[in-house]
Amino acid sequence: MWYIWDLSILLSALSLATMLLLIARRVLQERRGRAPADQRRQVLTALIAFTENRDREALKATVLGVQAGMAIDAGFEFISLLRGEERDDVLVAFNECDLPDRVGRLLQKGNVAERIHAAEMLAALGSEDASAKLLSALAQDRSREVRIAAAIALCDLGSLPLLGTALDFIGVAGQRSRRLIELFRRFPRSRFNELAVHASRVDASPFVRAAAIDALAHAGGFGFADFFAGLADDASPEVVAAALRALGLTGHAQAPAILKRAMANDDWDVRAAAAESAGRLGLPELAAPLSRLLDDEVWTVRYAAANALRSFGQPGERLLREIASAEVSRSQRTASLILAEGPVL
Amino acid sequence: MIAEWSHEVVLAATVLSWFIIAAGLAQTTIYLLQLVFAGYALSKRPPVARSALLWQRYGDVAPPIALLVPAYNEALNVVESVHSMLALEYPNFEVVVINDGSKDDTLQRLIDAFKLMKFQRPFEEALAHQPIRGLYSSPMTERLFVVDKENGGKADAQNAGINVCRAPLFCVIDGDSILEPDALMRAAQPFIDDPERTIAVGGTIRIANGSKIEAGRVREVHLPRRLLPLFQVVEYLRAFLMARLAWSSINTLMLVSGAFGMFRRAEVVAVGGFTKGSMGEDLDLVIKLHRHMRDKNRKYRIQFIPEPVCWTEAPESLSVLARQRSRWQRGALECFFRYRSMLFNPRYGRVGFLGFGHILIVDVLGPVAEVLGYILIPAFWLLGILSAEYLLAFTALIFTYGVCVSVCSLILEEAELQRFPRARDLAVLTAAAVIENFGYRQLNNFWRVKGWWQYLRGNQGWGEMTRTGLGAAKK
Repeated sequence: MWYIWDLSILLSALSLATMLLLIARRVLQERRGRAPADQRRQVLTALIAFTENRDREALKATVLGVQAGMAIDAGFEFISLLRGEERDDVLVAFNECDLPDRVGRLLQKGNVAERIHAAEMLAALGSEDASAKLLSALAQDRSREVRIAAAIALCDLGSLPLLGTALDFIGVAGQRSRRLIELFRRFPRSRFNELAVHASRVDASPFVRAAAIDALAHAGGFGFADFFAGLADDASPEVVAAALRALGLTGHAQAPAILKRAMANDDWDVRAAAAESAGRLGLPELAAPLSRLLDDEVWTVRYAAANALRSFGQPGERLLREIASAEVSRSQRTASLILAEGPVL
Repeated sequence: MIAEWSHEVVLAATVLSWFIIAAGLAQTTIYLLQLVFAGYALSKRPPVARSALLWQRYGDVAPPIALLVPAYNEALNVVESVHSMLALEYPNFEVVVINDGSKDDTLQRLIDAFKLMKFQRPFEEALAHQPIRGLYSSPMTERLFVVDKENGGKADAQNAGINVCRAPLFCVIDGDSILEPDALMRAAQPFIDDPERTIAVGGTIRIANGSKIEAGRVREVHLPRRLLPLFQVVEYLRAFLMARLAWSSINTLMLVSGAFGMFRRAEVVAVGGFTKGSMGEDLDLVIKLHRHMRDKNRKYRIQFIPEPVCWTEAPESLSVLARQRSRWQRGALECFFRYRSMLFNPRYGRVGFLGFGHILIVDVLGPVAEVLGYILIPAFWLLGILSAEYLLAFTALIFTYGVCVSVCSLILEEAELQRFPRARDLAVLTAAAVIENFGYRQLNNFWRVKGWWQYLRGNQGWGEMTRTGLGAAKK
């Protein structure tokens, strides 16, 4: 039994000693007073002054006179507010102070949060070797979040490797992140075909394919309408739903037939997407299948169908009123609810 | 001296003492392991200091969130709380306040403050709850909805909110709590990083007593001036930074606090929402989620992340604290026995072994064994039935290991988060971490045993929570 007592005394004494050390560290930090806040203010003031007088030497003297981390942080925040020539001038000054080098070291040796931030800063600082450092992080970093941040930064710099290669580097686990949507939305128009190729790859993850379709629909426009129509028969419901939503944005000659077919799909997400797109495109010829969806077993589908009918204007509203005044049923209740939406007069 | 007692008496005393010491040892071992896991988890995933960075990084892909705020007799705080919630920094959210048949003028205050008007909003009646008397929206902001319903308890109100909300994620928060402006953005991070698997995320609850609060925001962090809430600051650090972080790191988190938790709506609806009338509706929901996902053989994550912070008011009087702790104990027991088939059931993997094992040792056996120990071990020693070795071992488990665990939680806080602004605060908290083991801990265990007794007698009352109001009295 004695060992229980002895060990407890040892552990308690150790924990108290550690805590005392941490308190002492904090006392020292307090004694140093407001130095970090003052340094930050100094850098920001110098940057503001620089945008007025372009005195690069004065800015460099201030940046080199404070802690590197502080200069990097405050500088990054400031340059995100600048554009054009002003921004380029500040970047030149930062490069001459070797800030990108320091950020590069942070990308290699910092903790996860610091490495992600370093990737973002490297893209903003845009130094000559930024792409090489980011490529190395994309290929080798242990954390998938850092690899994704590096991919986004490389995309901003126009140096992202082929999409398939980048996704391989990001890894299977990383390909579940919504950050990929961010990556795809930043894709340059000239490389949209890569997104399209990946979206049609049946061996790729449905989440990634759907994200690629979404990005193409928002930025690619009607040029990809045929492509979306082709994907409406894909084996993956997630991909089909994304393709249908994309068709709702771009429109297509075959959209009524495709959407009507999709309204009978076994997957509720597909049916809901079809109803949404029918409403968005304003296709009154789909009123009949939409009114059948008012009886769907899934509320999301019923609600999307009712909303679609309502978006058709008077003909849709008339149909909803007819259904609402019919015998009590799921369709009748859905129609009544959607018609009642709004302020109570 | 031992020889003066009959062999049977000594044997019985020895067996009983061994049971008490073994329970204490098991509990202490769990705590020490949790410290190791929590330390590792914190070092692996250091916090992002500036919330502006998060906005820049995640703002465009952040999923919509509904903030569900059940309010029962919250007239004192509700308007200020809603104002602070509407000012949260998140791109796409709505605040759904559920007035759970308050007897005071909670609803009228909301109507007056936000010029609420009755509104019809179609929604899925996916979960059962007491009838809704009316829905209200505000012409001042499209983010706010108020559900006025008949009284049915917190779980019932939350279920009504889940029905009415339209976002794929919802976040539950108490009406008298204050979320930090970036709390939603931070809590949503796991849903962005791993949207398919993440089904629930819990954040940290901190105690606001003593802090300076203005316009529904914590402006300056101070420690409580009274001893009772000060001890609770240490307790909360231990519960969140140590226990939850540790279990989260091995996907065995059994509790996402009802005071601040974010959930994926579809999964919560699939398990029937919050269990009405439950004393521990938050624990109950998380256990149901674990069971559902494992029964369906689906991969999932229930995570705790320490950075998002929700501030709450801790009880300052012994009677209110006693009622709260007895209720928590009843909640734990209720869930343990309701889902007892999961205990050590291989089908539920580490949830059955570690999660339920933890509840068994810490919540079911822990308080009873410890209170028995307070009485029996010194008595056996004084009567000369047992040697001083037993007394020392028990003392070590209750007091010295207790000091070690509490101080180590504080070390985690200071090493990784540094949320207490002054060195003096750390010194005061270190003293509190030591002192709480001499009196407060024992009192707590007494309340928990009282909770056991109430559970056995079928007492289901919540008891009144007297509040002074965070904004009103704690400046």
